[in-house]
Amino acid sequence: MAGITWRCQEITIRYHRAFILGMICLWTAMIFGSNGLVAAPLDELPLDRWKDLRETERYQMQIAEKYYREQNWKIAAGEYEKFITLHEKSSGSAFAQMKWSICQVRLKKLNTAIKDGFQSVIDYWPESPDAMVSAYYIGHTYKDMGEIKQAKKAYQQVLQKYPKASVAAYAAVDLIDLATLEDDKQTLNTLWKKLTFDTERTNDTRSICENASRQYASHSLYHGGSKKAAKSLSTTYVETSQLVDQLVVLSIQAINQLMQDEKNRTQAEKLADDAINHVRGAMPADISTPEQKLFSQNCWFAIARLYDATKRPEQSDETYKLTLEKLGRNDEILAEYARWRKTQGKYEEARQLYASYENKIEGLSQIAYSFREQQKWPEAIAVYQQLAGMDAERQFDWLSQAASTHRQAHEWMQAINIYQELMAKDADRADSWLWEIAYTYRISGQYKEAIGYYRQCNNFPGNYQEMAICHRALKEYGEAIVLYNQIVGTDENWAPWAMIQIGYTREEAEQTEQAIKAFQQVCKRFPKNQYASQAHAHLQTKYKITVTLGGAKDE
Amino acid sequence: MLPSLSRIRSNIDTITASVLAVWMVAIADWFLTKRLPAVVTALFMLAAVGYLGRLAFQTSRQPIRAIRTLNLQLSALFIVTWPFVVWVLDMLELREASAIFARWGTGGLFCIGLAWFVWGMELASQRFERMRHQRDTNLPRSWHPLDVRAWYYGERSPKLRQSLAGLLSYSLMFLFALLLFSQLSGCQELYEMPAGGGEQQTVAQTVKLQKIIKKKFVVNPFSAILFKVPPIDEIKLQLTEITKHAYTVGYGQGEGAGYAGGTKQGKVRFIRIEYAGGDWDQDFGVGSDLNMLMEYGLRTNQPVNSHTESRTIEQLKNFPVGSSPPFVFMTGQGSISLSSAQVKILREYLDEKHGMLFIDNGGSGHFHNQVLAMMRNVLPQVRPTPIPLDDIIHRVPFQIPFLPYVAPHGGKEALGWRVDGRLVCYYHPGDIADAWADDHAGVPPEIWEACYQLGTNVINYAHAEYSKWLVSRGAAKK
Repeated sequence: MAGITWRCQEITIRYHRAFILGMICLWTAMIFGSNGLVAAPLDELPLDRWKDLRETERYQMQIAEKYYREQNWKIAAGEYEKFITLHEKSSGSAFAQMKWSICQVRLKKLNTAIKDGFQSVIDYWPESPDAMVSAYYIGHTYKDMGEIKQAKKAYQQVLQKYPKASVAAYAAVDLIDLATLEDDKQTLNTLWKKLTFDTERTNDTRSICENASRQYASHSLYHGGSKKAAKSLSTTYVETSQLVDQLVVLSIQAINQLMQDEKNRTQAEKLADDAINHVRGAMPADISTPEQKLFSQNCWFAIARLYDATKRPEQSDETYKLTLEKLGRNDEILAEYARWRKTQGKYEEARQLYASYENKIEGLSQIAYSFREQQKWPEAIAVYQQLAGMDAERQFDWLSQAASTHRQAHEWMQAINIYQELMAKDADRADSWLWEIAYTYRISGQYKEAIGYYRQCNNFPGNYQEMAICHRALKEYGEAIVLYNQIVGTDENWAPWAMIQIGYTREEAEQTEQAIKAFQQVCKRFPKNQYASQAHAHLQTKYKITVTLGGAKDE
Repeated sequence: MLPSLSRIRSNIDTITASVLAVWMVAIADWFLTKRLPAVVTALFMLAAVGYLGRLAFQTSRQPIRAIRTLNLQLSALFIVTWPFVVWVLDMLELREASAIFARWGTGGLFCIGLAWFVWGMELASQRFERMRHQRDTNLPRSWHPLDVRAWYYGERSPKLRQSLAGLLSYSLMFLFALLLFSQLSGCQELYEMPAGGGEQQTVAQTVKLQKIIKKKFVVNPFSAILFKVPPIDEIKLQLTEITKHAYTVGYGQGEGAGYAGGTKQGKVRFIRIEYAGGDWDQDFGVGSDLNMLMEYGLRTNQPVNSHTESRTIEQLKNFPVGSSPPFVFMTGQGSISLSSAQVKILREYLDEKHGMLFIDNGGSGHFHNQVLAMMRNVLPQVRPTPIPLDDIIHRVPFQIPFLPYVAPHGGKEALGWRVDGRLVCYYHPGDIADAWADDHAGVPPEIWEACYQLGTNVINYAHAEYSKWLVSRGAAKK
């Protein structure tokens, strides 16, 4: 069923939340660290500087800031320029000049921004905090232009002139990005170390330093430096549990990378063993409190995953058994163990574990999902029916899952019957069930019935799009075009798409001239849209027509 | 005891064969591998020139002159001397002189070959005539082309027809041999930029209003004679717009529009790259490239080639460092499939030969990804960046305030790959070549005009950067 997430999937994912969250955090931090999102706090005037402005200055600055926030760069640049002209002696002039330069960057005039903007801030207001920020922006703008040498020079100047400022950390991040591209390991190491161990962690620089510590740890792990990695991570993660989590996540990444080449197997196993020893060392001896028990459980899971990453299934199996023995049976351990068994292709054994769940409903839903994974549709449906009988609260969800499974098994009528039953019983979600019925009719090739149900749906233009598809399948091209035209007239976001569909429909109807006109209309009316590109290429390739009537300019 | 004449001749033949073999080794190395040190190549070539020169001199001093032998020796002397001179000039990096000698030498070779061909044909024709006289004059007409009485030469002026047929056959053979020779991978090809100079500034059009005051006769209004006097302020204004470029388009100190590193016979050429996997020849030739080349000539006053060309990636290797095309054009809408050898040639062209790729997306998002992937292979350490609107490539000679495109196949921003501050690749995402076509793809005049201007800017940028490099290379050598 489109739009409905499978409950059983959620259940599986829940048990791996810690692992996945760790990964997401790491990657998010890496992405954020490497890109220029650092610009956000730099282009704002601090409150203490606002209060230094006179009333008229504040008024003018606010106007400029308003346009800046609205991304109306041309007008904003004009307003900042006006500020500088009117209040040349003001303390806000340097800031206005810097913001004018940022507007130039947004207007794709990067050279102007550097030479007439940022450089002017440094030349005329060398003591102002904006000079420091402008120095960083010069490097950043050069980097955006691909002028790597100039960018590096500018960043180095920032590092030398303002080593304690947050812009130095931003400059280091950009230098790391360039060094990564050039595979300059020495520079990378130096900068990571500097950010991890030497840079003061303020609100502005904390995320950068934390990210650097992770990157340095990751790099150290690739080169067999588990201790270095742990030391690096310890600057960011004070709590043992967090430190262990991160170390395991990074170790598994490195192991996966190393295991791609059989030659590195020994190195990968050594890395895994080091990490396992570290985890064992951190594991609490006393598991009397729930927190300690949970940490201990996570440690066992980490050990099993490390064995799994180095393809040592016997040890993984042994570890899971040991976990059950040491910590007792609980659904979380069983879920993790069953997940691992499924990765080994042992579905029956996994289902035995699900069957022994304390929470029977969850266990059954996992069993049903595992049947679906194996494409054993009747078994899955039977379990869903059993669940619908057992769990009155979520009865409709289980029935919907059963219908969805019928649909996967191409048992259209059974699926439709269940959806109709749901429509009658679950009036609150009638629209959703109606859509599912229509969709099932459409994919089963019963277009007329599908159109009937789509007509009752309210989600314009989705239902019109689907109806048009059905009409085209029935070769009722006129009706399809009418529907597309209604989309063109009503929804400007979908208009280019609908227009090009008219062209394709005319083509199917062998109305070549009208099809060509429709494609040309797409180019003419929406020259900046991606569908204009599609229509242009189609006219040239299929009809050898070069006059496509498009053309636009990007200002 | 004196050696016999036949033994002396045999010795001479052996030495000649050895000298020619060594000469051929030198030539083959020059064209194909370039592995021999320059001194060895020079020695090999010089040996052939010296030896053949001495032989010819000896023959000319003989009491009974063997004209045919002498001619043969002189012809061989020309054949070995001409490449030697070209090679020396090439080594001295005198490209212009080298190109002139190469051209004139080819002409000379054609003439010498033609003379020998005519001589041989005449000899064969006379033999047929003699045979006919000795046997029977009423022999049936033959098929042999060397026989002047061959039936297809007809009754009237058979000699003239045979000569014409001979000339035509020889010319075709020569042309074919030349084409074959030029296809050899080691065969060099030169790209010569037009000589001249210019400034790297935006075109500033000055519009002057010329006021022409009609001549007036001041007449005494109190005169006794009656005149029709025109009012004093009736001035006929003839407004003429004088629009001219404030400077010449190009780079350097030379006279006229052109480039400091150019040659007198140099021209701006438009070379398209042939690649496998897609449609490299989209709008090729008269349709689009030629229009752009002609417009470039009109807008810059620089000499341009009369036709457009295409080369395979392998052929880019034939251009020597310092005389390779400042830019090559690439377009299409399908896939781009390059071998690792081709990737290496492209890298060498962009890096060592200071070339530039001008890529235009001819019609798909797929081609956009293909270009990015190709460039990732060619220049793995360079990341594409959007080219600012105030970059020199968007300002000189024409100010481009916006990026014009026909359809946004690969986005709406021009991307550039820079090496040491120089753009080595300019990628236009929106089918600029379609706007250059005769029908301009039906886009508004403002757009196709901007497309021509942008094309002019890119071509000029590539040539100016190439010229700067040539000049700096020359200065560094000095």
